[in-house]
Amino acid sequence: MESTFPYSVRLKFPGDLDYIAPVRKFVAEMLQAVNFGPKFAYRSEIVVDEICYNAITFGCQSPDATVEIEFSIHEDRMELVIKDPGKGDRSNRERLRHAVDGNLREADRKAGAKKEKLGLEIVKMLSEELNFEIDNNNLTSVRVVRKREEVSAKP
Amino acid sequence: MGSTTIDFVSAQNGSGATVVRVCGELAVDTIPKISETFDTILDKHLPFVVVDMMGVSLFSSSVLGHLMGYREKLVSKDGDLVLAGLSLEIKSELNLLGANRVFKIYNDVQSAINSYRWDREHISQSLSLSFPSELRFVPAVRQLASRVARQKNYGSRDSFRIETIVDEVCNNAVEHGKSGRGKDVALNLTIDREKIELQVVNETDPDKVAVLKELSTSILKAPEKPGSAVGTDRKRGRGLALIKMLSNDLRIDFSEEGTSVHVTRRRGE
Repeated sequence: MESTFPYSVRLKFPGDLDYIAPVRKFVAEMLQAVNFGPKFAYRSEIVVDEICYNAITFGCQSPDATVEIEFSIHEDRMELVIKDPGKGDRSNRERLRHAVDGNLREADRKAGAKKEKLGLEIVKMLSEELNFEIDNNNLTSVRVVRKREEVSAKP
Repeated sequence: MGSTTIDFVSAQNGSGATVVRVCGELAVDTIPKISETFDTILDKHLPFVVVDMMGVSLFSSSVLGHLMGYREKLVSKDGDLVLAGLSLEIKSELNLLGANRVFKIYNDVQSAINSYRWDREHISQSLSLSFPSELRFVPAVRQLASRVARQKNYGSRDSFRIETIVDEVCNNAVEHGKSGRGKDVALNLTIDREKIELQVVNETDPDKVAVLKELSTSILKAPEKPGSAVGTDRKRGRGLALIKMLSNDLRIDFSEEGTSVHVTRRRGE
């Protein structure tokens, strides 16, 4: 018996860049399994890649750090939350927040924050919603909503 | 030496790796400080060194030669010296000099430490997943497992066999388990350099438990003889028989909470 939308998936993996490629392809393939088109799936893959890269690079500074992804697939959209422990330097995380908000400070620009800003701009461009939170324990959550952009043929 | 700094950070976060963080210009006048740092490292018998070059704007060939010398000493003690965080410009210069054939180069310090821990400290890594109990999701799940194995340098044949195991185990979980909202399949995968361990848990359809127990018992106890019949019905239980053939250890536990399948496969190639 098949259940109906939304479908929820939870995934936890080590904070190791080796896992990014398999994880992003997994998200794309799960989307295509419920008839989201290849273009939507690939753009979602791009979003997952960028956010996971930031989560691991800025949020996983200890050997046993993990990244958690929860995504729910609705009939008209995908909602994605990516969490990392944020055990990195808090100033790095604030820089990330400024990059999301689009107001990188001059000092950050010089410090080479351009790369992550580009990644987040890509995510912003491909998403309908992008929210970023750091709690008091440095746990960082990035929430993204992508709305379906084309109608796929149903089997 | 101007504004060049060389900081020595020992034992990163519980790993056996040592990080030497450098900022500024690595010109000839920094060699005394480099020698002092690395002589300390050798005295302390610290085998694995990551040189964090993210803050380096110039890297002279004299310093490079010096580092090569220290690398040789570390390698002779079964250690290594690797470089991380190089700018594109410096990386290109090192490639032109052929230094990339001597030094392992990583994008960042954490990647270098992860690689060291994987290769030298034989750590294991775990991935856990919960997905809706529907057959259409199984291909994505088995591909995930296969790709993780490939990323961790398992061979393509090995990775494909792991994919086959995951496919069969997950298909069984979906076909014989309860489906519907909230009846997810839980998968845990632990991988290290030597083996992969898989655990798949799901709630079993209570009408099928007795039959499944009987079938799994007969298959798990059956002698491994090529071409032998599987249970009393040739078609039933082929998936389990296939998993058994491809794995080093297979265990199935039935409980009130559900069915848990544990598979271990040692790296084959």
